[in-house]
Amino acid sequence: MSIDDGSRPERPSNSSANRSRPDAADASGFVNAVDDRGDTKVALAGSGLAPGKASTVNPLSRLISHPLFGLVVVVLAIALPFINSSAYTIRISTDALIFVMLAVGLNIVVGYCGLLDLGYAAFFAIGAYTAGVLTTTFGWPVIATIPFVVVAAVIGGVLIGGPTLRLRSDYLAIVTLGFGEIVRITANNLDFTGGPNGVFGIPDFGDFGLRADIATYWVVTVVVGLAVLASARLGRGRLGRAWRFVREDEDAAEAMGIHTYQVKFAAYVTGAIFGGLAGVLFAVHQTAISPPSFNFLYSALILMAVVLGGMGSTPGVVVGAIVIALLPELLRGAENWRYLVFGVLLIVVMIFRPQGIWPHRVGEKPAKARRKRVVEDEPEVIP
Amino acid sequence: MIGKTRIGLGVTAVGVALALASCGGGGLTSDSQGGAAATTGDILLGMVTPLSGSSAAIGPYMKNGAQLAINELNASGGVLGRQLKLVAEDEGCDPKTAAAAAAKLVTAGISVSVGGYCSSATLPTLSIFGKANIPMIIPAANSTDLIKDKLPNVFLLNGTGAQQAQAAADFMKSAGLKAAALVDDNTSYSKDITTRTAKDLEGQSTKVVNQQSVTAGEQDYSAAVTAILRANPDIVYWTGYYQEGGLIIKQLRAAGYKGKIMVADGSVDKQLVTIAGKDNAQGVLATMTQTPQTIPGGETWIASYKKAFNADPGPYSTQSYDAVRVAAEAIKNAGNTNGKDVIAALEKIDGFKIFSGSLKFTPEHTLTNGGFDILVVKGDDFALNN
Repeated sequence: MSIDDGSRPERPSNSSANRSRPDAADASGFVNAVDDRGDTKVALAGSGLAPGKASTVNPLSRLISHPLFGLVVVVLAIALPFINSSAYTIRISTDALIFVMLAVGLNIVVGYCGLLDLGYAAFFAIGAYTAGVLTTTFGWPVIATIPFVVVAAVIGGVLIGGPTLRLRSDYLAIVTLGFGEIVRITANNLDFTGGPNGVFGIPDFGDFGLRADIATYWVVTVVVGLAVLASARLGRGRLGRAWRFVREDEDAAEAMGIHTYQVKFAAYVTGAIFGGLAGVLFAVHQTAISPPSFNFLYSALILMAVVLGGMGSTPGVVVGAIVIALLPELLRGAENWRYLVFGVLLIVVMIFRPQGIWPHRVGEKPAKARRKRVVEDEPEVIP
Repeated sequence: MIGKTRIGLGVTAVGVALALASCGGGGLTSDSQGGAAATTGDILLGMVTPLSGSSAAIGPYMKNGAQLAINELNASGGVLGRQLKLVAEDEGCDPKTAAAAAAKLVTAGISVSVGGYCSSATLPTLSIFGKANIPMIIPAANSTDLIKDKLPNVFLLNGTGAQQAQAAADFMKSAGLKAAALVDDNTSYSKDITTRTAKDLEGQSTKVVNQQSVTAGEQDYSAAVTAILRANPDIVYWTGYYQEGGLIIKQLRAAGYKGKIMVADGSVDKQLVTIAGKDNAQGVLATMTQTPQTIPGGETWIASYKKAFNADPGPYSTQSYDAVRVAAEAIKNAGNTNGKDVIAALEKIDGFKIFSGSLKFTPEHTLTNGGFDILVVKGDDFALNN
C-alpha cells in the first residue's frame, strides 16, 4: 500500500535488479559515483534542498522508507474515528479526503501530463449530479449509479477533450475554463438538475450499523486510498512515463514515437473519471448539491492543491490537498480574516517552497540505489 | 529521497491526527450522536450564517439580532434557570462550508439552531442537524425546497417564496396593472419567487410579458433592460438582491422606463437606494415581511439594538431575534433541551407574539401568515406603502 510514486513494489527481487542493471557486479564503483552525484540532480528539482543532506541515512528516514509506511498512513486514516469521532472531525476529514481524490485526479492531467485544466470541477459536478439525479429521481442505490457516473464522466471528457486537446497551453486552459462554467450554468438552468437549488435528499451508502457519518467516512477512506494508489501506479507505468515525456517536451515525445494526442486524451479521460467518482462521494457526503459548489474558485483550489503539493508528486499532492481542504476550517477562529490568512499562508508557502511542499524529483532515488547495492552484495544476484 | 517524501507524509498524517484528537471523542454507533441533552450549564444556540463571501453583510445583522434576544432573556433570568449562549459559525453562502459549520455546531453541543440564510447552503445542513436531533428555526432562508422532504426538525420563520409571490401577485392585480416583467438572478430564493408569481398570475388580469434571469455580480444589465423595455410592462418585479437590484433600477430609469418597479425582500436595504441613486429609487415598491421600521412601536426595539451594537439593524435582524425567542419559548414549554420535546413544543406554539404577527406553525412548519407588506422608497429608506 505504498503511495510514494517513486518506489517500485519493494522486494529485493534479483530479476528486477538484473534487468535494470545488467552489469551491476562490475560497475559498483561507477554506481557509487553516480549515487554521490545524485544530490545535484535532486537539487535541480527541489532547489530548496541543501546538497548532501538527502543521502544521510538517519533512523527516522529508514523507518519512513519502510515498504509498509504507506499502509501505516492508510491505517491511521481508517483509525481516525477511534481517536476522535466528533461530528465536526469526521465531517472535515471526509471533505479533505474527497478533496485528496480530486487533487490526485487533477494531478494526472496537470502534474503528469502538463495539461493546464482550469475547469476540473466540471467533472466533479458531472459525477455529483449524475449520482444525485439517479438516486433522488429514480430511487437507485448510490452504488448502482457508479457505472453511469463513469460513463458520464468519460463522455464529458471525450466531448471537451476531443476537440481541445489539439490545443496547447493557454488555449487549452481557456477552453477548459469555459467548459467548467458551461457545466455549472447548465446545471443552474435545467429543471431535472433542480435548477439553482440543486438536488437534495441524496441517500448514503448505508450505515452498516454505525453512525451514518462514520460509515460514509470509512467508505470514502477506502475509495480515496485506492484512488491515490491507482494514480501513483499509473504515473509510474508505461503510460505515466509517456505523460511525463509529453509534459517535458511534446515535440520530442512525438518524435520518439509517442502518439501524443492519444496519450493526452488518456490523461484527460482518466482525470475525468477520478473527478466523477469524487463527485459521487461528494454527493453522498453533502446529501445536497447545488451549482455554487462547482464554481471556478473550486477548480482553482484543486489546481492550487496540486501546485502547492508539488506537481506530479503523489505524496506531495495528497499533502497539498489536505492543507487546502483543512486550512480554512482550522482558521475558523480568525473569523472574517480567515480567507485573508489562508491566502497569505499560501503565498508564504509558494515563496519558501516554489516547487511545492514535496516536489516530484527527477533522477534515481538514493534509497533505491542503496537497496540495489545491498542486493549486489548478495551472491545470487551475480549472473 | 523516499525517506524525505515519506517523512513529510507521515508527519502530516500524524499531525492531523493529533490536532483532531484534541477535539474530544464520542461513540461510533448509530445511536451515539445527539444523545443525552445536558441539563446544567449554558444552553447553547447555534447559528450558521454568512460572515464571509458575497453575503457577508447579512451575518452581523443576524448575529446581533439573535444576541439582542439572548441578552434580554438572560437579563430576565434565562430559560429553565440556565443562561443562553449564542455560537455563530460562518457559512460563506457555500454549501460545503455550511455543512462543516453545522457539524461544528453539533459537536459544540447546541440545543437549537437559529441560523440559515442562503437556501442552497442551508439544504445540506438539514440532515446534519436532523441526525443529531437538533431543531432548526430558520430565520432567513425560505426556499420551499427546505420543507419539501417534510423533515420534523425544520421550521421556517421567514415567509416563504410562495407567500411572497402571492403578496406580489395580489398587489399587481389590485393596482390594476396589465403587464408585468419578472426578473430574477437565478438563485434558488429569487427564481422561486418569480416562478411562483408567474404561476399566481396565470389567467389573471395581469399578464407576464417578460420573465428572465440575469447573472448576479455583473455591472452592465443593458441586455436585460432592453428586453424589458421591448416588452413594455407596467411593472418590473426584481426578486434578487440589492447589489444588482440597484443597478437594474438605475439602468432601467436611464433607458427611459417610466412604469413601476417592485423588488423582493432580498433587495430591501438602504444600499439599494444608494446604488440606484436617490432620484431613481423614489417610488420603488417592495414586498417585505414586517420590520421594526414598519411596525408601530418598533422604534424602541431599534433604539435598544443601536445601544447594544452601535449599528443599525438590517435585513433579518428581527427574524433572528424572533428565532431565539421562539427557541427559548419552546425550550421553556418543553421543560428540557431534548430535541424531540423541543420540536413537539414548537409545533404546539400558538399565539406567541413575533414581529410578523402571532406565531402558529402550519403542519408544513411554515408561518400561517407570511405577513408580507408592500413597502415603498421614500427619501433614503423604505416605508410602509399606504
